[in-house]
Amino acid sequence: MIGRHPHKNVLGLRWQPAFGGRAAVLSALRLAGTFCLIATLAATASANTEALHARIDQLVAARMPTEAAPPATDSEFVRRIYLDLTGCIPSTAEARAFIDSADSGKRTALIDRLLASPQYARRMQVFFDLMWMERRPETNVPNAEWAEYLRASFAAGKPYDQLVREILSADGTDPALRPAMKFYLDRGGDQNLVTRDIGRLFLGRDLQCAQCHDHPLIDDYKQEHYYGLLAYFNRSSIFTDKANQKFIADKADGEVTFKSVFLDEQPRSTPPRLPDGPMPEEPKFNAGEEYVVAPADGVRPVPKYSRRSKLAPELTSAERRDFRRNVVNRLWAMMFGRGLVDPVDLHHSENPPSHPELLDLLADEFAGASFDVRWLLRELALTVTYQRASDHPSIDPNQLPPQSYCVALLKPLSPEQLGWSVLEATGVSASYRAGVQAEIDGDTKLAHILASDEARQRRGIEFAERRFFERLAPSLGEFINLFGGPPGSPAPGFQATVHQALFFDNGGTVRSWLAPSGSNLLARAAALPDSSAQVEEIYLTVLTRRPDIEERTLAVDALNARPAAERPAALEELAWALVASAEFRLNH
Amino acid sequence: MKCTYACQTAEHLVARRRFLGLAGASAMAGAGVLASPLGAFVRPAAAAELQSKQKRILMVYLAGGLSQLESWDPKPGTDTGGPFRAIPTSVPGIHISELLPQTARQMHRLTIVRGVNINENDHGRGSYIMHTGRVPDPSNEYPHLGSVAARCLSVENDPLPGYIHITPGGGGGLSSSDAAFLGPRYASVTLGGGQPPQNTVRPDAVTEAADLSRQAMRRRVNDHFARRRRTAETEAYTQTYDQAAELMKRRELFDVTKEPATDAERYGSHDFGRHCLLARRLLENGVTFVKVSHSNYDTHNENFDFHLEQLGEFDQAFSTLVADLADRGLWDSTLLVVNSEFGRTPGINQYCGRDHWGTAWSVVLGGTGVKLGGAYGATNHNGTEVKDRQVNGAQLFHTYLQAVGLDSTETFDVSGRPLPMADPAFGPIKELLA
Amino acid sequence: MSEPAATEAAAAPAVPPAPTEPAASVENTAPVENTAPAENTAAAEPAAPPPPPTADPAQTYIAADLVEGNSPLLSCKFDPSGRFVFAGAQDNSIRRWQLDGAKHTALTGAHDSWVRSLAFDATGELLISGGYDGRLVWWAATDEQPTPLRIVDRAHDGWIRAITTSPDGKTLATVGNDNLVKLWSTLDGRLLQVLAGHTGRVYTVAFHPSTGTLFSGDIKGFVKRWDLATAKETAQFDATPLWKYDGGQFVDFGGVRSLTVSGDGALVAAGGTTDASNPLGAVHKPIVIVFDANTGEKQQTHRAKEGFDGSIWGLRFHPAGFLLAASGGGGGGKLLFFHTAEPNEFFKFDLPALARDMDLHPNLLDVAVPMHDAHLRIARMAAKPA
Repeated sequence: MIGRHPHKNVLGLRWQPAFGGRAAVLSALRLAGTFCLIATLAATASANTEALHARIDQLVAARMPTEAAPPATDSEFVRRIYLDLTGCIPSTAEARAFIDSADSGKRTALIDRLLASPQYARRMQVFFDLMWMERRPETNVPNAEWAEYLRASFAAGKPYDQLVREILSADGTDPALRPAMKFYLDRGGDQNLVTRDIGRLFLGRDLQCAQCHDHPLIDDYKQEHYYGLLAYFNRSSIFTDKANQKFIADKADGEVTFKSVFLDEQPRSTPPRLPDGPMPEEPKFNAGEEYVVAPADGVRPVPKYSRRSKLAPELTSAERRDFRRNVVNRLWAMMFGRGLVDPVDLHHSENPPSHPELLDLLADEFAGASFDVRWLLRELALTVTYQRASDHPSIDPNQLPPQSYCVALLKPLSPEQLGWSVLEATGVSASYRAGVQAEIDGDTKLAHILASDEARQRRGIEFAERRFFERLAPSLGEFINLFGGPPGSPAPGFQATVHQALFFDNGGTVRSWLAPSGSNLLARAAALPDSSAQVEEIYLTVLTRRPDIEERTLAVDALNARPAAERPAALEELAWALVASAEFRLNH
Repeated sequence: MKCTYACQTAEHLVARRRFLGLAGASAMAGAGVLASPLGAFVRPAAAAELQSKQKRILMVYLAGGLSQLESWDPKPGTDTGGPFRAIPTSVPGIHISELLPQTARQMHRLTIVRGVNINENDHGRGSYIMHTGRVPDPSNEYPHLGSVAARCLSVENDPLPGYIHITPGGGGGLSSSDAAFLGPRYASVTLGGGQPPQNTVRPDAVTEAADLSRQAMRRRVNDHFARRRRTAETEAYTQTYDQAAELMKRRELFDVTKEPATDAERYGSHDFGRHCLLARRLLENGVTFVKVSHSNYDTHNENFDFHLEQLGEFDQAFSTLVADLADRGLWDSTLLVVNSEFGRTPGINQYCGRDHWGTAWSVVLGGTGVKLGGAYGATNHNGTEVKDRQVNGAQLFHTYLQAVGLDSTETFDVSGRPLPMADPAFGPIKELLA
Repeated sequence: MSEPAATEAAAAPAVPPAPTEPAASVENTAPVENTAPAENTAAAEPAAPPPPPTADPAQTYIAADLVEGNSPLLSCKFDPSGRFVFAGAQDNSIRRWQLDGAKHTALTGAHDSWVRSLAFDATGELLISGGYDGRLVWWAATDEQPTPLRIVDRAHDGWIRAITTSPDGKTLATVGNDNLVKLWSTLDGRLLQVLAGHTGRVYTVAFHPSTGTLFSGDIKGFVKRWDLATAKETAQFDATPLWKYDGGQFVDFGGVRSLTVSGDGALVAAGGTTDASNPLGAVHKPIVIVFDANTGEKQQTHRAKEGFDGSIWGLRFHPAGFLLAASGGGGGGKLLFFHTAEPNEFFKFDLPALARDMDLHPNLLDVAVPMHDAHLRIARMAAKPA
């Protein structure tokens, strides 16, 4: 149902971000447990005006085979939400502040604060860059420009459908949108590669097997679907002007024909057409009148009718449910660890969503909210389902089907999340942040401008984040090599290899980050007055929680058993062990 | 060892089969006691044989596409034959290119399959077919022969990687996609430039005591977490540290300079020579699958000069390796496969080169489980097509598996889907099996 | 060094008479005007030898197109009398065409691999062929059907890559894949000398016209100079830009693929490839380095003005004062004409197919180029007849 953006919560209270009644409701409900939530929501069900997150919880609950796990602890929640919305664990101070806060609305407040932070935009940039470009090497569009284009788009809250339209229609003529050409340009303008990836990434259909024949295993994927998509690009190519600048150019002629390699048939032809979409009327021109700018040596042709230009509006139109379902499914997978349709690029009738009404609801609500990604992620983060613990008091989670969401799923950290989290935990990030801030502060002119009003302050924070990211991002190289998949392929599932372990065991990188210096983790810990404080600082910084009694005792005893001169080494061993642990490796 | 994993994950199912196959067997690595998780995969007749000897596979991969006309199936004096002539071998009636004089003397230990047609001329796709026995299908990745061997032939608790790939140049690392659904434990470990895997030496700054202490701490933290949440993923992750420790203990295995200098001379003082000697070392020490790559054979330009140079290196090192494996008693428990992603065109192009050609070319086998000392199949007089006993990549894959005593018609159970070990549309080349 | 126009019509003694009507497979044969009626020389007393004809590269056109069968050709040589052209073919035979009438004769039965290099004794009666079978074969070059007179098997271990005869024709020099330079008696085929020292396959060899020295070039880009009297190496010229070890493809590539000494003995030119960014894919650029034959100092490095791909397979210093080079490769076949004073060519002629070798006719006008498409084409550096 394409509903209006709801503004009233279950108690009829108007919500505002970060304050008020919703948080109170949540707080009360957490105490009452899962069943109470369902009962409450059901009792006050007025479906049209309930917040989306409540309706999500209802639909998930309706299919649960058994009792759900209780909510995650504050430690678990703060780590999870930071990783999911900012791509990195919280700092020690942020963790401590959150865990120790008595504010009953703190979870919602934190969600809102993170969504408003520059780190959110960065996280979205990294997430979508990986999805769309799959670590392909930079060829025609510099990575830095593309990254900034994405980051700025997400920071500004650009509607997702608009972002996709820009990416699919950029041809280089608008200077501001030149980086958006990367999707096409850095695939070399290869028609088949572009076709396959648009099907996968924007429609949730991997049509590769339908290139040579109707898909042998999936009845819904036909060869005409593949070529209908390809036909948007068959007249397009990369054009380089005399100044060696790249553009995308279209011609006015060229047809697409295909035939199945299995069948002895006449070749068929297709105009540009989305799967099962309406047959378009293509305009006809008299010979010699097809172009606004005719092709000539060194001249980029501009036809009166461009096939490629039709893709963006058609793909993102209200008629294309598959476009909406694909993106909400992927965002759901990002937050919950598994798509409602899994795998996320194989939507078809024999691979239905685990929660069909839920997927439709999300798709329609997202469109109704003008494809506001922040809004959707907020709703997802506010669900009880999302905030559920990943362990269960009475049932072995491994006996539960993952799509039941009775427990939260473990999500392996992406190479970027892992790398940034190690940098954060060891204290390298804080030191770089301080350095960047010192530079800005030391530049009195700049500091004055940035401090002068709120808008500028905000831009100043963004500026500092960008400089920080540019400086430190190159340090992630080894993580990407060891934990990431081969370029040009979708990110592989969790991979544990002996090389990763050797990297942590013997590699110089993590050791150098751990080595005490300035006010990094080990330097800070060493300066603390007693073993217990030291142990707590290390646990809180690396695992975003305090040690339980057993852990604390064991760790403190271990420290105290060693001579004082060995304390720094002992602290390093403890910190290393936590960084190398499975608990750190996973988002739980 | 009660299994508590989610029943539908790939790691679990593969691990469970392993466990069932293990019941009652001792887990001593390399002691000749078979603790192999073969269970359902082993042909009954071979089980007894396997009890006595662990099988291993050596693949020599000539990257870029070796020209069969300049090696295993020469056609001198024809319009396609090129300038090199043919020489007799240790098997009467079998001739190979004059570029392989030392290998010719080992022909009685080898078999040439001359009728290979994979109907594919693309490097990536040809390589995929020759490594997996499958036509590329993007919705289903299949594991390499090396990963299947590592999975099915390795002794349980084997600390060494089961699939090692020695390449000229390049960094080391791993190719996680090789193992596909079998999981990264069976992925190839690449020794780039024949160097040991990276990070296998504990740095001086970390004393052994410190390492023991931090590993013990790490294990305690993992156990603590596992009480709350234990999955195939956490198991896989924590297990890699144990594997790392074992690998480090056996690091010397990767040091080819530990082999006698006289051996190094016999193999040739070039990279391929050293890599073949390293392969011998690894195989002797129980590594299940070793692949040695030699590069590059993609001779679109000046095919004859390039093959002269590359095969000059290849001939000496390869023939020495074959002879050594035989002399040292490894030949009847090691399968040898010599292949490329495809062959080269009979037609000589205008740069005196040959282009990609998957239609009529050769693969060489040796060692255990295959009939030796012959040529199976044939091409026509000038090599433009197969005229006798054509075979494809799937059939070859089946044959490799059968040769080492595996039942290639078996399936892996992955998330409830049965995935056949080899392409079920084909079977092994029975006449080739010993 | 240009001659007055009036003497252009006086042909050198060895020019083949132009046929009065075209023969079957020969197009655009020698123009009639080049063979002037011998009024100036017929009954004259022996006077000063007539000056050589002027080659005019800018006028180059394909004067003859010889083809027999469809085996690619890889080597060629005119005989000293200028009546024949010989070419090695990939069917292991040698083709002989009579330039007057284009009659073809096949020389077969002695090689079982390709013939890459050809040489003659001083009289032109003896042809010697060097093959990739390592064999040297002597032939009666001018017989109706030449037959092998002598076969020296395993003259080299592996391919013979180049052979040439000394200025007096008595000594034959051969080089090959066994890294050796060998000297033989042209007359009776005796091995006279083995010169060792190259560390890589030897591709080319050329005698100095007067000083009793020999030059040989190898795959590593070294040109060695040998003194024939002492059989010792006396110099090594560095043409290593012509060589590359490709670390990605793990292979030595390039080498001195053509080598020539100027008629006055002052210069040595080494030709081959450079900038080989993809040896296996034939991406490499043609290059010639010219050395002072005495001191080994580089005088010039010649590159083509345009960046096409190729290798210099043939080189000759022309008495008219330019260096002629034949290139074949990814950019097609070309004849390039250089002046030593300038790095780039002053003229380039596009050949219809790739060149793998090149020879200059005694008339100093005609250039034979054997090609992959089985044709032997003769380019004439003179104005095409109307």
